[in-house]
Amino acid sequence: MQPDTATVHSVLAGVGVTPESVEEAHAVGVVCRVRAEEARTTLAALGTCDMAFEFLVDLFGVDTGEAVDVVYRLRSFVRDLEITVKAAHPYDGDLASVWESHPAALMPERECAEMFGLTLSGHPNPKHLLLTEGSPAYLLKSVEIRTAEEVRNR
Amino acid sequence: MTDPRHLTGHAGWLTQDPPHDVEYVPATLTRAPMGVDTFDTERLILNMGPQHPSTHGVLRLLIELDGEDVIAAESVIGYLHRGIEKLAESRRYNAVGTLLDRGDYVSGIMNELAFALATERLMEIEVPRRAQWLRVLMSEINRIASHLVWYGTFGLDTGAMGQFLYAVRDREMLLDILEDVTGQRMMFNYVRPGGVVADITPTAVEKIKAFLQTIDMYLDEHEALLGGNEIFQARVKGVGVIDRETAVAFGLTGANLRASGVSFDVRRDRPYDAYPEMEFAVPVADQGDCMARYVVRMAEMRQSVRMVRQCIEGLPEGEHTAKVAKVLRPPAGEAYAAVESPRGELGVHVVSDGSDRPYRMRYRPPALYALQAAEAILPGTLIADAIVILGSVDVVLGEIDR
Repeated sequence: MQPDTATVHSVLAGVGVTPESVEEAHAVGVVCRVRAEEARTTLAALGTCDMAFEFLVDLFGVDTGEAVDVVYRLRSFVRDLEITVKAAHPYDGDLASVWESHPAALMPERECAEMFGLTLSGHPNPKHLLLTEGSPAYLLKSVEIRTAEEVRNR
Repeated sequence: MTDPRHLTGHAGWLTQDPPHDVEYVPATLTRAPMGVDTFDTERLILNMGPQHPSTHGVLRLLIELDGEDVIAAESVIGYLHRGIEKLAESRRYNAVGTLLDRGDYVSGIMNELAFALATERLMEIEVPRRAQWLRVLMSEINRIASHLVWYGTFGLDTGAMGQFLYAVRDREMLLDILEDVTGQRMMFNYVRPGGVVADITPTAVEKIKAFLQTIDMYLDEHEALLGGNEIFQARVKGVGVIDRETAVAFGLTGANLRASGVSFDVRRDRPYDAYPEMEFAVPVADQGDCMARYVVRMAEMRQSVRMVRQCIEGLPEGEHTAKVAKVLRPPAGEAYAAVESPRGELGVHVVSDGSDRPYRMRYRPPALYALQAAEAILPGTLIADAIVILGSVDVVLGEIDR
């Protein structure tokens, strides 16, 4: 279920990507952290390598307080492996679409961009998915939800 | 009576043979209607939904048509967005299940279970064996109820009606059982980190046994009623083919993925709770069309019945929940857990900062991925088939929008 970290290093080295870390995390599995500008190359390489991480299980963001971690969870049905790729994006930064290597990212990327205030690039349909245009980036920690009292008194 | 003539039918209706001797002469056109020789179509943007019954919820589809042919399709979603992921950040761990019930409201047990599993992995809680079996039992009952909703409405999408009434009849038995055990018919709030809220009741056991006595016969009836219907077969065979590559590329999971030839089931391949102790098969089909998705789901219901039977016969003694604190404070870290919901892999990724509320809770909605796969294969199909394709992938908008 867990890929060999040395093999991951080797695959990424083949496309000129040096990951910041590749390590096994409790209850998540192997996590590979790369720079934001290398996320697209990383996913393309992992999708086409012998491990064949062609299946995108999920894509979402996490506001860490310093940046927006975009998390890609990948699966290989061929080898029965799973890996998580993380890339820290600056607030208001660009989110480069990975839809060409993993078309499953089409809708989740739109959601991730709107919920964390990122600008989607290279996407064929970069409109908002769930929220109306102009809505705040709700999943940022700086955006606080209103209390019931505030809603009643609005 | 001032006018004693028959209102419908001819005089002597049902008391004499119908007039078979009347020769039917089809009408013939003596000239072409005006404009037929120059008949042409122009492209049309059809706005379907968000209140259209065939969209299975508040889904809006924009479909570009050339006559009956679909040229392009785009789904517009978000009408049911309630911010469940954001709200979860302000709820204690034990209260998040309440929100998730309102995600995929047709199979709430699985929603709660995915979050409970993720929390348990974070805290390394060992769930009592009886609680694990109860979770499997309730999950499979909920799965059959969910598949019956799909079966009934999918038939409606193809123009059939009767099967919906029978599906609701059978589902009522299951909702009675769920209500007996959880106190609710839909928004259960039953599975909590550490186990389940309440043990099964003796009356629920009797209801389940009664259900098991009839369901096999009812499933035979369902398959004969809809699957054996020639019109239904003509509407679904070879329609909406999602091949293996497309299914994998667009992130399909669950019955939709298995109908495209990929044998992956979270219960078997990433086992949780008592599933390793269960005997069940994973139905797979290769065709990838609407019929294959129908066949896989119908076969899944029989496997779920098989597991319900095993749970009732072999339910172990013990506690229904582990001894956990009333206010949970998982250590800082993150965990991913997935369950096999009726719509596919329902995953929850929880990030904890050590407080009593999740720092971040991500809910992987399998129906969102199914919707984008359906959207991708709609161009090139007929508008009537688009409805059938959408019905076949079994989307629930509450889960998609969250």
